Amino acid sequence: MAKKVLVVDDDEKTVKFLTAALEENGYEAIGAYNGKEGLEKIQNEKPDLAILDVMMPKKTGFVLFRQLRRDENLKNIPVIMLTGVAEVLEDLDAESDDTHERPYDSLREAMRKSIKDMRDEGLIKPDLFIDKPIDPELVIEKVRELIGS
Amino acid sequence: MLTNIKIFWKLGAVFLITILLFFLIIQYAGGLLRASPAESVFENIYQLVFIVVLATALSGGFAWIFVRYFINRPLNRLAEGMNNLANKQFDFRLGEDEKDEFGSLSAAFNDMASMLSSSMVELKKNRDYLESILESSADIIITVSPSGKIRMINAGAEAALGYGRFEIIGKPIEVLFADPKERDAAIDKLKYADSVINYETQFKTKNGEIRDVLLTLSRLRNPSGAVIGTIGISKDITEEKRLQSELIQSQRYAAIGQVFTGIQHSMKNMLNACKGGAYMVRVGLAKDKRKMLEEGWEIVQEGINSLTEMSVDMLKYVKEYKPKLDQVDLTDALSEIYRMVVKTAENKGITLELNISPALPGVMCDARMIHSVIMDIVSNALDACLWKNYDDREKPLVSMTAYPTEENEEFVIEIKDNGCGMTEEVKSNIFTPFFSTKSRAGTGLGLSIASRMIGVHGGRIEVESEPNRGSLFKIVLPLRGPDKNKEDNDGEKGFGS
Repeated sequence: MAKKVLVVDDDEKTVKFLTAALEENGYEAIGAYNGKEGLEKIQNEKPDLAILDVMMPKKTGFVLFRQLRRDENLKNIPVIMLTGVAEVLEDLDAESDDTHERPYDSLREAMRKSIKDMRDEGLIKPDLFIDKPIDPELVIEKVRELIGS
Repeated sequence: MLTNIKIFWKLGAVFLITILLFFLIIQYAGGLLRASPAESVFENIYQLVFIVVLATALSGGFAWIFVRYFINRPLNRLAEGMNNLANKQFDFRLGEDEKDEFGSLSAAFNDMASMLSSSMVELKKNRDYLESILESSADIIITVSPSGKIRMINAGAEAALGYGRFEIIGKPIEVLFADPKERDAAIDKLKYADSVINYETQFKTKNGEIRDVLLTLSRLRNPSGAVIGTIGISKDITEEKRLQSELIQSQRYAAIGQVFTGIQHSMKNMLNACKGGAYMVRVGLAKDKRKMLEEGWEIVQEGINSLTEMSVDMLKYVKEYKPKLDQVDLTDALSEIYRMVVKTAENKGITLELNISPALPGVMCDARMIHSVIMDIVSNALDACLWKNYDDREKPLVSMTAYPTEENEEFVIEIKDNGCGMTEEVKSNIFTPFFSTKSRAGTGLGLSIASRMIGVHGGRIEVESEPNRGSLFKIVLPLRGPDKNKEDNDGEKGFGS
């Protein structure tokens, strides 16, 4: 039976090409367009892996991710997070004051806080962050590494 | 002995004694004459004259000695005292042992001398104090004679300009100016006022270094009001200017960095679509899947469109805004926007409302600019609704309202939503270019462009917002169009020009 992968992103294009790529590589792909829908589909479909976008309306990827990790039934589902600012995440642990990134300070702070909160709660970090623009082949490769074909 | 007696009595006594002496001598001589009578009348007369002359001389001599003693001596001492005072020997005092008028004069003189002496001490103290203020001031303080020669410089000036005061005093003041004409320019201003404040100019130090200074120049006048020179107090601002230009430079770099980060951030999302679409095209071609090819191609095109849109926006951002002013009926303009957007809003489950005041006057503005600003803010409002979880009591709502202010001078277009709202931090950044809270929609330029477009109309955008309650954007425009006298240059000059 094909392994099930859920893609949650408010950007239709991303959902479209990622599901196409996954299906092309023999996975069963499900798309969801916001955090709320994403949580419902995870609960109903019990996917083998979830790909979550960080920046989503209504429920950000981090909020959704924490709900998964707190849920006994869902907490072992591997998660890949998509972000437009993965380079921000690279130095999340290090205090950095790169003045050139002022406009994104709030986002960076929010992420730093989310990760810190998760760590404080004893939650496991997402398995992987992938930066946008996403290379579908890279995503497939990583999915394969995490859950096999 | 005689010191307690007033001059009048002394002189009286001398006078009486002199008279007495005179008569005594005459009496005595008369006695002598009578004892040996003269042989002739002539001899008698001769003797008489001799006696009178002798008596006069003796008594006159006596009077002379006493008058000299009582009057000349103290007068001389007074004169000597005066001389001493004139020679600034303020500690000189007269003896006061005599109790006559000269004694009182001496006492008065002594009082005057000590008063003078103490006021001189006071004056000196004040002068020293003022001098020490001038000396210890780090400012460059220079006084100049009416003919333009340096008269005094303080330690601050010595330190800043590298001259010792003795080598510079007496030199023409122009030598201190980097451009000697500057001195005339500053002095020219003194024709219209008694002082020139913070005139920015440059001094040249002894070894040729140029110092930026703020010069405050005042006329020096004597108590009767005549000009006796000028005093210049200058503050060396070379360091401040250097720091300021460094700051501007670093701010410029930071701004450029911010712009690059912003562009990169926006481009990423567009490239994301291109990359994903290209993948689908490739797979579609390789496996001959027409549907995948088509979908992929569509995504690529969307990415290209977004990139195009961004490049247009960037151009818009740097371009010079010159509103083409026209009498615009905003009822029409707003209704048109309403018709354009209402369908999109409905599809997203958002109610769009339009409230227009019936007494809506025509407004002088550039219709296209205002249209684009309103569209931009309305589409932000719609996005804000999408980003909020509504409970059952509330429905997503965006309303556009337009009304003139009570004074009928300004015109307000309100765009209100009950969407996700903004934190203070986001709110303070919304007009910053490339600031965006949306991961993939837009370029982060919309509101900065909007704000400049409204700026060139002489208007402003006011924002109120509360997280999870919604936002209110007020576009305030002057009814009569931009005020030509005080143009808001914020947008007039494009960044590219």
